[in-house]
Amino acid sequence: MPKSKRLFSAASRRELVFPLLLLTPALAVLLSLSIYPLIYSITISLQRETADGIKWTLANFARLGSDSFFLTAMAHTFVYAAAALVLEFSIGLGLALLLNTQMRGRGFFRATLLVPMMLPTVVVGVVWRLMLNANFGAINGTLKEFGLNTEGLTWTASPRLAFLSVIVVDVWQWTPFVFLVLLAGLQAIPQEPYEAALIDGSSRWQTFRHVTLPLLKPAILIALLLRTMDLLRVFDQIFILTEGGPGFATETISLYIYRTAFRFFDFGYAAAMSFVLLALTNVISTIYIRLLQTKETA
Amino acid sequence: MKRAGKYLLLLVALFFFVSPVYWMLTISLKSEVDQFASPPAWLLFSPTIEHYVDAFVTRSFLQYLITSAIVSIASTLSALVIGTLAAYSLARFRLPYKLDNKLSLWILSTRMFPAIVTAVPLFLMMRDLRLLNTRLALVIVYTAFNLPFVVWMMRGFFAELPRDLEEAALVDGDSRLGALWRVVLPLVAPGLAATAVFCLIVSWNEFLFALVLTQTDASMTLPVGIAGRVTQYEIKWGVMSAAGAVAIVPILVFALAVQKYLVRGLSLGAVKG
Repeated sequence: MPKSKRLFSAASRRELVFPLLLLTPALAVLLSLSIYPLIYSITISLQRETADGIKWTLANFARLGSDSFFLTAMAHTFVYAAAALVLEFSIGLGLALLLNTQMRGRGFFRATLLVPMMLPTVVVGVVWRLMLNANFGAINGTLKEFGLNTEGLTWTASPRLAFLSVIVVDVWQWTPFVFLVLLAGLQAIPQEPYEAALIDGSSRWQTFRHVTLPLLKPAILIALLLRTMDLLRVFDQIFILTEGGPGFATETISLYIYRTAFRFFDFGYAAAMSFVLLALTNVISTIYIRLLQTKETA
Repeated sequence: MKRAGKYLLLLVALFFFVSPVYWMLTISLKSEVDQFASPPAWLLFSPTIEHYVDAFVTRSFLQYLITSAIVSIASTLSALVIGTLAAYSLARFRLPYKLDNKLSLWILSTRMFPAIVTAVPLFLMMRDLRLLNTRLALVIVYTAFNLPFVVWMMRGFFAELPRDLEEAALVDGDSRLGALWRVVLPLVAPGLAATAVFCLIVSWNEFLFALVLTQTDASMTLPVGIAGRVTQYEIKWGVMSAAGAVAIVPILVFALAVQKYLVRGLSLGAVKG
């Protein structure tokens, strides 16, 4: 395609002007509102104001290792993310497999399952406060109707139950997302490999294990990648539901950074912690993306 | 028998995912007596609109709603204009040193930053610029937040279009911007609309930046307004639920409008469902 080459490849410097001009506004916005804030953040994390001016120091980073709030918040974040990820993936995959067949009402099921993930996270928090309230919430009220003793079920007031509750809320909101991505992945798988497996006399489990799973791998990795990123930075629902409490039982890293910055106004330390979170999400997303790429080239 | 089991499982799932939202809707329509009824009134109660009146007439929720609408629309429009231009460039032109690919990935990676990481410095920057508690601050921040998404989505839509049409327009003497405006944009209009709707949803739902940047009645968005009431000691459940119900309505309408592109949008263009 010689014409195409002439019009769209930037052979000379003059021809670079137009594409670069189109890119300029976007790059300016991202540099000033995504990159500059990061640099700003690094700077304040490395500075301390003293009587004789600003001093450069690593104190904020040195503090991380001995700060039990930080370590606990990290542990909470990992446990929360792992538990929610496992549940969302298993339930999402189960639902996707169930709905990946011709059946009546499929469109209705699919559309209705999407409701939770479209909601503002703040509304999700409100919804679940109403459900979980120990005195008049729908869950305890209904359990009581069935003759169960609900005295111990103070959902958001006891540390263990509160942690379970915030996990359930995330599973409630985001399993539909995993379901949706996996269903799209399942529907993109062609029929031929299944027919071949049928001819080979594979059992249903063998077919699932050796045909479905490998072909579904890209969709699985994308769903897990996006969920992991969101779970590691979780803030909104927990802030509304428990504010990190009772005590600090449900305080994740984002909530602790928020508390440090906007309750104690220790912006430097908050910035230092946010770099740990950023590094963590970077490492994990890189791993996922590597896995995705090996799939594509294999 | 097997089919019955399947439907039973799906009904259980449906109940789990839908009943909490339904419960909130009933609370928003119940008088206080009914709200605290034991056993809980799932179905039978006499509906009232008093909480909606209380929230949107007596209290300031109408103002939060207007702020949310203004901020969402303004930030979506600016992200759409800036992002579409960049996406067209990245989809159509090869830059030296594979710069186009590298830039695309870099732009996407800015979307992966956890919000709290940029929220702290953005708060300090907006404080220095005296933009705290203004709608402008949110419009600016949401534009930057939505931009990578617009670039990534629109780049995909542009890449799917054959180049012949633009080439014909260029040969006919159109300028390059003219070709983009008159020939290409009409063809990607459905994708552009879907992208816009996703930006609207994200901005409408966003909480952390809004919480950090706006704390006054005149500047806060609907989610911040709702959250401010939830965490106080005496909670007006009816008002909260009424505000929550109203916050959901535009989202559900939008989601229906983009059903076709839902998977693609939610996976940042990675899965073309």
